[in-house]
Amino acid sequence: MIKNLIKYSFACLVMISLSGCEDFLDKDVLGYSTDEDFYDTRYKLQSALDATYDILQSDTFNDSDWRFGEATADDVWGADEGLSSQMGQLVSFRFTTSNSYIRDRWEINYKGIHRANEVIANAHRVQLSNDDYLEYKRVREILGQAKFLRALFYFNLVKTYGGVPIRPEVESVDNLVVPRSSLEECYAYIEKDLREAAIMLDTRYVRTDAGKAGSGAAVALLMKVLMYQATPGIQSEKWEEMVRLGQYFVDGMSMTYAEMLQWNDSQEDWETLRKRLWFKPRELNNATDPYEEPTSAMPALHTAYSLSYADCYGASIGYIDQFFQTGEFCSGSIFEVVFKESADGTEGDTNEGGYVFDDMYSTSPIIWSTDNILTEIYGSDPRRSFNLGHQTYTPDGELCQCGPGKFVSLKWYTPVKERPQNGGDNGKNRRYLRYADVVLMYAEALNECGNGAAALEQLNKCKAQVNTLNNGTTLYNGGGYGYMRDQIWEERRKEFAFEWDRFFDLVRQKRAAEVIKAYGANRANRRGYYFREGVNELFPIPQSEIDVSNGVVTQNPGY
Amino acid sequence: MKFNKSIIRLSALLLLAPFIAACDDDEAATPHAGMVVDKTELGINETMTINFEGVADQVAIYTGDESHNYELRSESNTGFVVNKGLFTYSYSAPGTYKVVCIASTYNDLAVDLRQDTCSVWVRVIDDETEIRQLSCPQILYDEVYADALNASDWVMRLPRKVKYRNATPTISLTQRLRFYIDSDSTQVYVGGEPYGTTTRYDLSQTQDITVVSHFGTIRDYKLYTVQYPEFDEFRVNGVEGELDRSEFDYSAFTYTVTLPAGTDVSNVVPEFTLTGTNERAYIGDVEQTSGVSAVDLSQPVTYKLVGVSPDNAEATAESTITVNVNFE
Repeated sequence: MIKNLIKYSFACLVMISLSGCEDFLDKDVLGYSTDEDFYDTRYKLQSALDATYDILQSDTFNDSDWRFGEATADDVWGADEGLSSQMGQLVSFRFTTSNSYIRDRWEINYKGIHRANEVIANAHRVQLSNDDYLEYKRVREILGQAKFLRALFYFNLVKTYGGVPIRPEVESVDNLVVPRSSLEECYAYIEKDLREAAIMLDTRYVRTDAGKAGSGAAVALLMKVLMYQATPGIQSEKWEEMVRLGQYFVDGMSMTYAEMLQWNDSQEDWETLRKRLWFKPRELNNATDPYEEPTSAMPALHTAYSLSYADCYGASIGYIDQFFQTGEFCSGSIFEVVFKESADGTEGDTNEGGYVFDDMYSTSPIIWSTDNILTEIYGSDPRRSFNLGHQTYTPDGELCQCGPGKFVSLKWYTPVKERPQNGGDNGKNRRYLRYADVVLMYAEALNECGNGAAALEQLNKCKAQVNTLNNGTTLYNGGGYGYMRDQIWEERRKEFAFEWDRFFDLVRQKRAAEVIKAYGANRANRRGYYFREGVNELFPIPQSEIDVSNGVVTQNPGY
Repeated sequence: MKFNKSIIRLSALLLLAPFIAACDDDEAATPHAGMVVDKTELGINETMTINFEGVADQVAIYTGDESHNYELRSESNTGFVVNKGLFTYSYSAPGTYKVVCIASTYNDLAVDLRQDTCSVWVRVIDDETEIRQLSCPQILYDEVYADALNASDWVMRLPRKVKYRNATPTISLTQRLRFYIDSDSTQVYVGGEPYGTTTRYDLSQTQDITVVSHFGTIRDYKLYTVQYPEFDEFRVNGVEGELDRSEFDYSAFTYTVTLPAGTDVSNVVPEFTLTGTNERAYIGDVEQTSGVSAVDLSQPVTYKLVGVSPDNAEATAESTITVNVNFE
């Protein structure tokens, strides 16, 4: 019996080893696309770009933006500030490195980067059906938008965590752990993407193309990226470059392609650069095709946007309409996160913006402002009236019932007629970059470069526009450097309050600790009081990243 | 064959034995707390790395600072859970802290829970004496920053008057000061007295500033104040120029002199008086003397005025004064 057992066992082992030699498992799958051959048409590349834009609509992306950009700072109070919750710990700066919101923010932005990299790494595979100039331009625009989006995601990471790992455009399983790059390297990478996007895209996209990032968006974000690298009170090239971009964007001064790219032929030959960025190669150009030289002037941006309150057709709208559906793609809106109601208007969750604003404008808002804070922000400024208290009416006649003592911003409100049928959809676009930001960034850079008079002119352009709300005549006054800077910061706070950027603005102004601690000292729960200067300006790298990389990804100082 | 059967039975029993034994053994393993701390003397916000090197199913660390004191664990003080044996931390206040590591083991349902602890003392030192920035926060509505000349000397350059809307209020030399130091524990003394945020200091005198860190290091600084030099008056051919100040730049002035039409201004000798005693006027590098130096005013001319602190020749303030001529 034992002998038989041994025989059978042996036979079984032989059979297993024999079957392992068969290579039927290794055969190519027929009829399916792979990474290698998928992106052979522009339409397929477009689908990868759509997937990148999709991240902007995701709940996690927007959720993370208001949690970090707004809830941590001094314009709001919150419902979730107890130290027993992850959110409470986050906004109180008493979190651990394992905080799930810190991890979520990291992951969603890298998800966006991965999708943008798919477009960028595969654009060269696209085959054109003919040699029309327009064919090249269309691919170029897809690539340019992907570069803009990649920069946007990296910028989000860098302003939250400092220098982060720069992922390879083509990921492989052999190289999953990437160490952190320095802050300077990350900013250089972001700048390069934005400068290239700026020359690849049209100034702004309208009608059926509305919502695509244009070169206006790339230049506006580039100015912001430069501003975050500069230090108030210290003259630097970054401030000077911002002034130059402001002269181009706001004043209409001409700028060449080479200047925008900071290009010189020692780094890359112009024709090689053109081919890489999908400009039509010179040898294929017809006599009628335009040819972009390094010395060619960039298309004018100053005519594409304005401070006036006007919709995309040029018709006058109210201030707060800029944030409603009526004002989508209005004259002052440079880039929006586009939400679209279900295709048939009735059912199906075609976008993920389920609660982008709902949690903030509701009968139990998750964050809100107070009378005291509004007075501090606005004083007697007419923009205060766009924040509603309990039992007051919205412009379209709905009763606001946010709760006694609470004030919610109409920037978070969706008018009844614009509200989608389906609860899973979001009714209106989120404004991401606005022209007023460009003008105020320009003003700040001018002041930093010792040109207070020109700074005052830009600052008062914004104020004069606001004065149209109440026929006001008050303008900002001229003064020394510090006074001008404080006035510009004051106007930034008034204009961009509740747009989820306050925290990061304070950090780059180098006064987050001062402002947030003072705010926390006046709160019963002292939220913000424990902000640690020199540490909390950056959030920690998520512990899971440190752990899975076995310490190759290093932690920020102080955590 | 009988022998074979016995072997099979015996083997079966042997195989079963461990299963039975495993079910019976309801005791947790013996924990061992052991940790390696990379440094026991730290600065503020400096990262301390702890590697757990013991035996445990769960590891927690009490860092010993506020809310994380092991001795106060029955009073809501908590420790931190350690993942993968690695824990990093930093302290925000100076002091000596007892870091306690707790290694726990347990069996199913934690019927048997065992603990072992070990501890290490770490000392956190705050030795910050560096003044990062120094300003007068209330020059009318402006905050004016001083500049560092070297590691110990600062110079504050203040305007005599500020143009604001339609007025030009005089700026006093008695001003508040504001220090930017990267530590809450550092003490500042001005002229030997503890610094006060609302105290006004006489900046016409050089101020001695002493910065004492929590650790005890003492560092001395000096603050020199120089006012931007100005002309008290500026005359050409007996006609007084009209002064225009810049609202934005306290060191920039413009004088406009209105003279009769046809006046030859290619070689005139302006008369001027400087406000301060330690001030001199130049055009380019050539010093100008009132009533002596001749200038060609057919084009706008820029004077450079230099004021110097009486206590330190390196502490200077420079103004530029552009003189234009108008003809009636």
